[in-house]
Amino acid sequence: MSHTMLLSYVTFIYFAAFVLYLFRMILQKEFWGIAASFVAWAGIAAQTLAMILRWKASYNLGFGHVPITNLYESLIFFAWSIMLLYLIIEWRIKNRMLGAFVVPVAFLIMAYASIAPGVNNSIEPLIPALQSNWLTSHVLTCFMGYAAFTVAFGCGILYLWKYKKEAVGSDTSGWMAHMPSLDVLDALIYQSTTLGFVFLALGIVTGSVWAHYAWGNYWSWDPKETWSLITWLIYAIMLHARFVRGWRGQRMAMLAIIGFVSVLFTYLGVNFLVSLHNYI
Amino acid sequence: MKKANILWSFFSSVKLTLVLLCLMVFLFIVSTVIPQQNIAPEFTWLADIYHSKIFYLLTAVFSLNLIVCSINRWPVTMKQYKSSCFPPPSGLFENLPKNRIIVTDKKMTDIERVVESLLSSKISTWKKTATETETLFYRERGKFSLWGVYVVHLGVLVIIAGALMGSLFGFEADLNLAEGEASNTVQLAKGRGTRQLDFSIQCNQFIMEFYDTGAPKTYRSDLSFIKGGQVIHQGSLLVNHPITFEGIRFYQASYGLAEAGKAVLAFNHAGTESPEIQVKAGETFDLPVHNAKATVLRVEENMMQMGPAVKLNIETDKGNMQLWLFQHIKEIAEVNPGLFSEVPMFNPGLFKPLVFSLKRTEKQYYTGLRVVKDPGVPLVLIGGLMLLIGMIMIFFFAHQRVWILVHQETEGIKIRLAGRSNRYQEALQRQIDHFCVQIQKELTA
Ligand code: HEM
Repeated sequence: MSHTMLLSYVTFIYFAAFVLYLFRMILQKEFWGIAASFVAWAGIAAQTLAMILRWKASYNLGFGHVPITNLYESLIFFAWSIMLLYLIIEWRIKNRMLGAFVVPVAFLIMAYASIAPGVNNSIEPLIPALQSNWLTSHVLTCFMGYAAFTVAFGCGILYLWKYKKEAVGSDTSGWMAHMPSLDVLDALIYQSTTLGFVFLALGIVTGSVWAHYAWGNYWSWDPKETWSLITWLIYAIMLHARFVRGWRGQRMAMLAIIGFVSVLFTYLGVNFLVSLHNYI
Repeated sequence: MKKANILWSFFSSVKLTLVLLCLMVFLFIVSTVIPQQNIAPEFTWLADIYHSKIFYLLTAVFSLNLIVCSINRWPVTMKQYKSSCFPPPSGLFENLPKNRIIVTDKKMTDIERVVESLLSSKISTWKKTATETETLFYRERGKFSLWGVYVVHLGVLVIIAGALMGSLFGFEADLNLAEGEASNTVQLAKGRGTRQLDFSIQCNQFIMEFYDTGAPKTYRSDLSFIKGGQVIHQGSLLVNHPITFEGIRFYQASYGLAEAGKAVLAFNHAGTESPEIQVKAGETFDLPVHNAKATVLRVEENMMQMGPAVKLNIETDKGNMQLWLFQHIKEIAEVNPGLFSEVPMFNPGLFKPLVFSLKRTEKQYYTGLRVVKDPGVPLVLIGGLMLLIGMIMIFFFAHQRVWILVHQETEGIKIRLAGRSNRYQEALQRQIDHFCVQIQKELTA
């Protein structure tokens, strides 16, 4: 089976996992949760295999490179990182309720990668500027960071929702009660934000090293660079507000959402701005 | 004194930090969304925010804020670092949840053995003090992580210092070299004129390779670095593989078509064809008759839509003569009968007895080098590493302290467990819960 076929199956597997997580949430039977986790693990295993196959395929074409060098491959890797991080957290906190909020993001990214116009899924040889190991580490770390921020975003949404419900005193005995508590969500927002913050810093540093070798400038205020710095600073603001000014809960959840919007803009939105990078 | 205090507290405020960070974010966003042209004159600084006074001022205030904050904070951290575990923080053992108090009828020595084996691990140190009625165990982990914040903040300052150093003492320039050409004059960026280097760079060869798809695969310039007429260093410059020579770094940045192409021509003398001659505009070669010399005036890729052509000036003792050589002269003459009588210059046999022919013209490329000197790079790199190391210290470790109080009371011996952590409280609480379970298990076993 080709890796493209396999990846389109993975998209459906993630959708199935999402539906099962929803069942778990609404029907409140752990059976559905176990099924959901099983499907999700199967999905990530299949995706890992597909990525390895794609890697191998690039070598068969005579210009082997790690499959994270164009938009399509980066989207696939992004979805993979989100699933990996989510499954680790699920395993750590022994609660499957978050799945219904995080897994659909991975599904949407996979779907976007396969249907969006302008996303080319063929394996392309690398132009000279991209032939660098620093680029590989740059992309890897950036997307691990983005994935962590995505998890923080999912927790933020859930936090606000749950908080609203509890504030109006509506019935929280139903499935809401099975959600992680506000405290756990707050801690999760903080922990995934710190993880993302470190990874994004690593991403920016490795990106600068790459730029240094490729163009002679470790920093050139290109819109993409600038936006990655903006994103990073937003999270720096968030961490300072929490650690030094004691912000918790709702405000953190809001900042996690704002930060995620900035992540999305850094990743996709910047392409709509004029980029200054003109090189071979 | 009062004034100094106000200034000090202004700069040591984290509120200021938050405001500054928000301002920076705002400024950066503006810089990426405003168009670079059509800006009203009073806002031109917006087009080059990163070299504007406002940005420098912001950076300066930010750095000062960071320095003052760190100095202010130092004693607090020092105190935390030195704070001893004895006596434990007041109120530590008050209001403990039920599971944190274990009552047992075991002997004191047994209990101590159990607790000691529990606390022994490679990554943490533990101590104990004992009086007649109680023994207090103390275990500490990740104390060094308290300094992570300083490492991060210093890293930020070092990066700023490195960037400043680069902009003060460095330069950025371009150098275009055609194959075979050498130069020591580089073109400074942003039209700031030129700069002479202490050595020349010669491009011996520029090579491009392409994939089957037509996408570029390699750009490579073979360079020689020449000083005092001697080649001191030679190397191949590739994208992503810069060459450093005397503190100046060279990058493969671009390439282009050199104005002067190369022409390959030959002439026929009494029925025998001469070997091919490769010439560029401005070059001269000897002809075997009349003591003549030919100079190439122009090399054209596509002269008047008639394909590749070369203009020659032929100099003899009797005077000069100019002629155009077209590669496709046969075809041109076929569609324009009578061409040579109308335009004798186009006749390849005009200079008797030779008949010239233009075999082809070859494009000639120049390689575009980026020439950079940035003495701030090592600082920025060190700053970046500090940033990463500091963040790992902060976020992947925590200063965790656990106290276990074993106390003789009327009901028997009570074991109380409590802990403090500067971060990730939940993780520590989970660990203490785990301790409680372990102790119960060991004691009942
Ligand atoms: C881009 C610049 C900055 C970065 C990347 C940065 C990073 C950090 C990080 C990662 C922490 C730890 C936060 C946590 O534990 O959750 C922190 C704490 C802190 N930062 Fe910054 N910071 C920056 C600028 C500043 C500035 C300008 C100040 C000046 C007031 C400042 C003051 C503090 C203080 C007081 C703490 C708390 C330290 C403690 O309580 O141990 N930071 N910073």
